[in-house]
Amino acid sequence: MSFLLVMKAEIVQALIIMRRYWFRTIIGMVMGYGMLLVLIAGFMVSRKEVTDMAVGRFGDAESATNFVLGFIIGMFAFGIVGMFTQGIQGMASTGVLEQLCLSPHGLITNFLARSTVAGITTCLSSSFMVWLVTETVGGQLYFDGLALASVLVLTFINLLGFGFMMGGLVLVFKQVGQVAILIRMGLFALAIFAKEELLHKGWAMATFVHALPIADAAILLKWILISNQGREGDNMENYVSAFQHPSMFFLILSCVVWTGLGMTCFKLMENWSRAKGTLGTY
Amino acid sequence: MSDTSDKFIELANLKKSFVLRNFFVKDEDTGKRRLYRKTFVHAVQGVDFSIARGEIFGLLGPNGAGKTTTVKMLSGLVKPDGGHVTVDGLEVERYRQKVLRKVGVVLEGTRTSIWPLTPLENLAYYGNLKNVKGAVLKERSNRLLDFIGLKDKKNVEVRHLSRGQKQKLAICIAMIADPQVLLLDEPTTGLDVQSARAIKDKIIEMTREHGKSVLVTTHDMHVAQELCDRIGIIDKGKLVACKPTQELLGNFSEQVYVFQLDREPELAALQALPGVLSVERELTVDGPAAVVSLQPDSEVRSRALYAVVETLARGSFELRGISQRQQNLESIFLQLTTSSI
Repeated sequence: MSFLLVMKAEIVQALIIMRRYWFRTIIGMVMGYGMLLVLIAGFMVSRKEVTDMAVGRFGDAESATNFVLGFIIGMFAFGIVGMFTQGIQGMASTGVLEQLCLSPHGLITNFLARSTVAGITTCLSSSFMVWLVTETVGGQLYFDGLALASVLVLTFINLLGFGFMMGGLVLVFKQVGQVAILIRMGLFALAIFAKEELLHKGWAMATFVHALPIADAAILLKWILISNQGREGDNMENYVSAFQHPSMFFLILSCVVWTGLGMTCFKLMENWSRAKGTLGTY
Repeated sequence: MSDTSDKFIELANLKKSFVLRNFFVKDEDTGKRRLYRKTFVHAVQGVDFSIARGEIFGLLGPNGAGKTTTVKMLSGLVKPDGGHVTVDGLEVERYRQKVLRKVGVVLEGTRTSIWPLTPLENLAYYGNLKNVKGAVLKERSNRLLDFIGLKDKKNVEVRHLSRGQKQKLAICIAMIADPQVLLLDEPTTGLDVQSARAIKDKIIEMTREHGKSVLVTTHDMHVAQELCDRIGIIDKGKLVACKPTQELLGNFSEQVYVFQLDREPELAALQALPGVLSVERELTVDGPAAVVSLQPDSEVRSRALYAVVETLARGSFELRGISQRQQNLESIFLQLTTSSI
C-alpha cells in the first residue's frame, strides 16, 4: 500500500514535469529517435546494401544487431543505476533527500517506487522508439511477448539490487557518485559485449559472467530478440521458449542474490549514515 | 505556559560525537605533516529537556553548539551515541517510522520543496509520501496554503517564489500530515523582518489553536523572546540554561544594577568587591553611571549591593539613583555563551 502510494506520487510528479517542460521532453524524444534511427535502421531491415554495410562493419549482421540491442539495454542499466547514484547525490544537495528520509514509508520503499516509475518510463519510451524506428525503416519485429516482458522485469529487478548497493554506498560516501559514473559505463559496456559465447569459454569465465549484474539479462534479451525470433515462415519452427534457456535460471538467481545483497547493503549503509550524521545531506 | 509535567517530547542524557578524519594534515603543535588524523567532535553532551503538549520550546545557541544535531536526533535522522529520545512515549530509535508519523520537520534551508512543481503540487507529492491522500489531502493542502498566506501563489512554480514564501511552503510541507510535533530548525534565517514576523505569528497561531508542540532553534533573539514559552540555551553541546522565557529574563534582570553618579567611578575598587561579576562605565544623559553585574545567589547579591554602596560612599560619590536593568534575551545569551564565541 505504502509502495503504491509513493509510486502514485512519483508518477504524478513525472507527468507534471514532462507536461510542464514539454519542449525538453520533445527534444529528448527527438534525440532518442534520431540516435536509435541511426543505430537500428540499418540492422532491422534486410535490405541488401544495409546488411552488406553491417557485415563490413561488424563481421556479420547479427553482431551488429547484438550491438544495437546491447546499446539499448546498456542505456536502460545506465539510467536505473544512475537514479540511485547521481539521483541520490542530486537530491542530497537540494535537500529533497532529507524529506524522503523523514517519510514514514522508509527510504527503501521510496527508492523502490521511484526506480519502478523510472524503469517503466524508460521501458515504455524505449519500446516506443524502437517501434517508431522499425516502422520508419519499414522493418518488422516478431518476438515472444510474455518471455520478453518477464525478462525485462527480471532485468529491472537485477539492476534494482545493484542500484540499491551503489545507492547505499552513495548515502555514506557521497564522492562514490563520481566513481559510479565509471561503474555505469562498465555496465553499459557489459550490456553491449555480453554474448552467449562467453558462457562457453570455460567455467571461470562463465562463473564470472553469471556473477555480474545485467550480464545474464543482456544475453537472454539478445537471444529472445535476435536468435529466437524470425520473420513469418522463416525460422519460427526453431522457436524455443526463453524459460528453457539456461541463462533464465542464472538471471533469476542473479536477481535473488543482487536484490538481497543490494537491499541489505542499503539498509546497513542507511544506518551507518545515520550514525555518522550525514543521512540526507551532501 | 503549559504544564511541563506533561512530557510529550523527552530527551534524556542525549549524547552525540562525530569523528573527523583528515589525511595529510599539518599538526599545529609540532608543525609536522601527519598522514592521518582522527578528531572527535562532541556535538551534544548529555542534553536533558522535555516539551509539553502545546508548548513552544526555543533552543538557542551559537554556531556549532549542537542545536541542529539535537533536532536531527529528535527526528531520527541522526543516531544518538547515548541517552534516549521519546515522542509521545515512543522511543525514536526503536519506533522511528511511527514517530515520523507524529513529527513534521523543517530543516535549515529552503530547498525542501521541488522547484519545478507548484506549492499545491508539492503538497500533493509530500502528502502521498506521508500517507495522506484523496479528499483529505486536497482539503488540507488548500487550508494550509490559505493559513500560511500562500493561497494566491498556490499555482505558481516554486522556483518563482521568494525565499520567505519558500520557507512558508517548507512549513506547510512539514504540516501536511497534521503532525503533533513540529521541529523548526532556523525557520527565520535569511528572511526579512516582515517574513520572519509572519512566520513567527503563524507558529504561535498553530500552537495555540491546534495544540501542536513546537521545538524551534533560532539565532533571532527577538523571535525567540516573543515566540517561546520556554528556552534552552545550548553551548558546546551542553544545556547551560533551561527555563520559562519570563523566568529566565527575570532571573538575569535581578543581577544588573545601574548606579547613577556625579562623576566617573573607579572601576577597580568596585570590581574587587566580593559578589561582583563585572563593572562597566557608562555615559548617560543624566551623567556617568556604573553598571554592576552581581552574582545570582540572593544572599551574595545582597551583601555585594551593600558593599558597592559603601564603597561609593567612602569615595564621596553623589549617588543620584539606583535602578535595576531589564535584560533581554540577547544579553543573557551573550552572558551564558560568551566564552565560546
